[in-house]
Amino acid sequence: MTDTVAEPARGAAPKGVAIRLGIPMLSAPAMILVALGLLLPLALMLRNSLNIYDPAELMISAFTLENYVKFFTDSFYQGVLWRTIWISALSTAICLIFGAPVAYFLARYVGDFAKRMLLIFILVPLLIGNAVRTSAWMLILNDHGVLAAILGFFGYEGELGLMYSAPGVVIGLVSVLLPFMIITLNSVFEAIDRNLEDAGLSLGANHVTIMRRIVLPLALPGILSGSVLCFILSMNAYATPVLIGGPTFHMMAPTVYQQIAKVMNWPFGAALSFILMAVTLCLTIWVSALVQRKYRKWSE
Amino acid sequence: MSEVVLQEVAKHYGPAVVVQNMSLRIADGELISLLGPSGCGKTTTLRMIGGFVDATSGKITVGGRDVTGLPPNRRNMGFVFQNYALFPHMTIAQNVAFGLEMRKVNRADAEKKVQEALARVRLAQYADRLPKQLSGGQQQRVALARALVIEPDVLLLDEPLSNLDASLRQEMKIEIRQLQQSLGLTTIFVTHDQDEAMSTSDRMVLMYNGKVEQIGSPDELYNQPRSAFAARFLGVPNLLPGRIVQGSFEMEGGTALRLAGQKQLVGNCFLALRPEVIGISAEAVEGENNLSGTVEIMTYHGAAVEYQLRTDAGLTLTARAVAPGLGGPEVLPKGAKAWLHWPASAGVIVSEH
Repeated sequence: MTDTVAEPARGAAPKGVAIRLGIPMLSAPAMILVALGLLLPLALMLRNSLNIYDPAELMISAFTLENYVKFFTDSFYQGVLWRTIWISALSTAICLIFGAPVAYFLARYVGDFAKRMLLIFILVPLLIGNAVRTSAWMLILNDHGVLAAILGFFGYEGELGLMYSAPGVVIGLVSVLLPFMIITLNSVFEAIDRNLEDAGLSLGANHVTIMRRIVLPLALPGILSGSVLCFILSMNAYATPVLIGGPTFHMMAPTVYQQIAKVMNWPFGAALSFILMAVTLCLTIWVSALVQRKYRKWSE
Repeated sequence: MSEVVLQEVAKHYGPAVVVQNMSLRIADGELISLLGPSGCGKTTTLRMIGGFVDATSGKITVGGRDVTGLPPNRRNMGFVFQNYALFPHMTIAQNVAFGLEMRKVNRADAEKKVQEALARVRLAQYADRLPKQLSGGQQQRVALARALVIEPDVLLLDEPLSNLDASLRQEMKIEIRQLQQSLGLTTIFVTHDQDEAMSTSDRMVLMYNGKVEQIGSPDELYNQPRSAFAARFLGVPNLLPGRIVQGSFEMEGGTALRLAGQKQLVGNCFLALRPEVIGISAEAVEGENNLSGTVEIMTYHGAAVEYQLRTDAGLTLTARAVAPGLGGPEVLPKGAKAWLHWPASAGVIVSEH
């Protein structure tokens, strides 16, 4: 048998090898871009966060954890972090509560054409820049704004107090994040076979049970990724806390900006951004693990 | 008793009529199939019986109980979906147990029933697997077990075999029929495959354009199709257009063919001839209807030889002869001149519509 098999030409690599090596190589430019564009600045920031700030020389090269120690001993900055976390968690929860029914309704009860139109309608706010949109919210929320006028028409005379407050910021964030949640969840619900719900019905389950036992467990991974997306976006939100929260309502991203661009304290700004990143990452992983465990219990 | 009765049931979507005033009586323990091409309204009818689609008008009763307005979860019907619709996040046992859980059956009884149901479809050893770990045929049997374990009044099957390959389909067909008969379960089986319908059903309902075209036993539908559509759908390739003149069939072009015992129709109609009733020979046969033609295609099937011939009048006819080795006539090659012949009593007169 062996003599009938043609030997590969000397020097020429067999075709299979070329394919095996060639296709992964296609991802090389992207990998390099990711490395240069993402990892390099990150590494530089990490290095900066270990330096020392000096009002005269701005940054002195060093290897110290001083900046991190400063964060964990200064209750002001911890307060900023806590505020950022609970504002983000609350905004995400509200997006989930309002977004899930809309996404489910779109996925199940709306025809193809109407659905496309509605999704575009939901996406329209994203076509306007964040800062511009938030400015519009300022016009709506302020004490002499649109909302106050509407409430005034119905006889409400008191101050709204939404500007420069947590509720105002949450409203602003929800308006930014809701489209992301709806679009993510819509595709999650679309991917769940409608026959599964009908099968549940035919076996005697009511709609609540079907939601709890069939739709929710199957949608859970998607709900999780939608929530993680919204949470990360709001942990890092800048325009909304600055414009609606104002100068006295501090959240992490504006504080990082303030340290780096205003105070010129690059080391501390870098440390703050690393803390923000680490906390976001840890919370995301923790919640994911929690949900996964719960998911297993649900499906029993 | 779970006799299913449909009275003038209709489904309209705006101006589109999907099912037109359909009346049907399905006896207790009967397996009836709804057969027809896609878009004929068979699945909509099944979903109306199951409660997933609201009937626009009409009434559906099961064992005398009016279920027309009831939601699916209060109809006590087992439904088997074309794509099985097993809950992917539950094990096989959990899938089968789901309906019992909804009925608040206590745990010990439920476990026993699940085991019995899985044993009935020979899947007891797969109880702890997930659906995706099973083959298509096994998943379909789980779907069947899940629908049967709740002891439904009626079993509804929506194209249950169409996702299976040919040999599995054959096996499942027999399995479904056996299960249905041993349980004496009133069953409605939707399919577009006449062979499937024929080999499983007590009666078949042939549907077309939202209307019942013909109802009858497989034997009746096979041997006495009422219309050209029914004949074509049930696999009769030969439909000779013409009309009845003084007791004989006059083909377009004037050739008269003898009839014997066939029903008579006024106006244009067709003479439907199954390939196996047509004989093929080199000479005309005395005492039978004869048409001469040329062999266009000859295909060999082992036990039979199938010919496609073009008659001198320009009609294309299919004839099936017993293979020479089994006592049939000599094989005729492509291009050969031949005579097609059949006894006057063979063939069925069918209406145009």
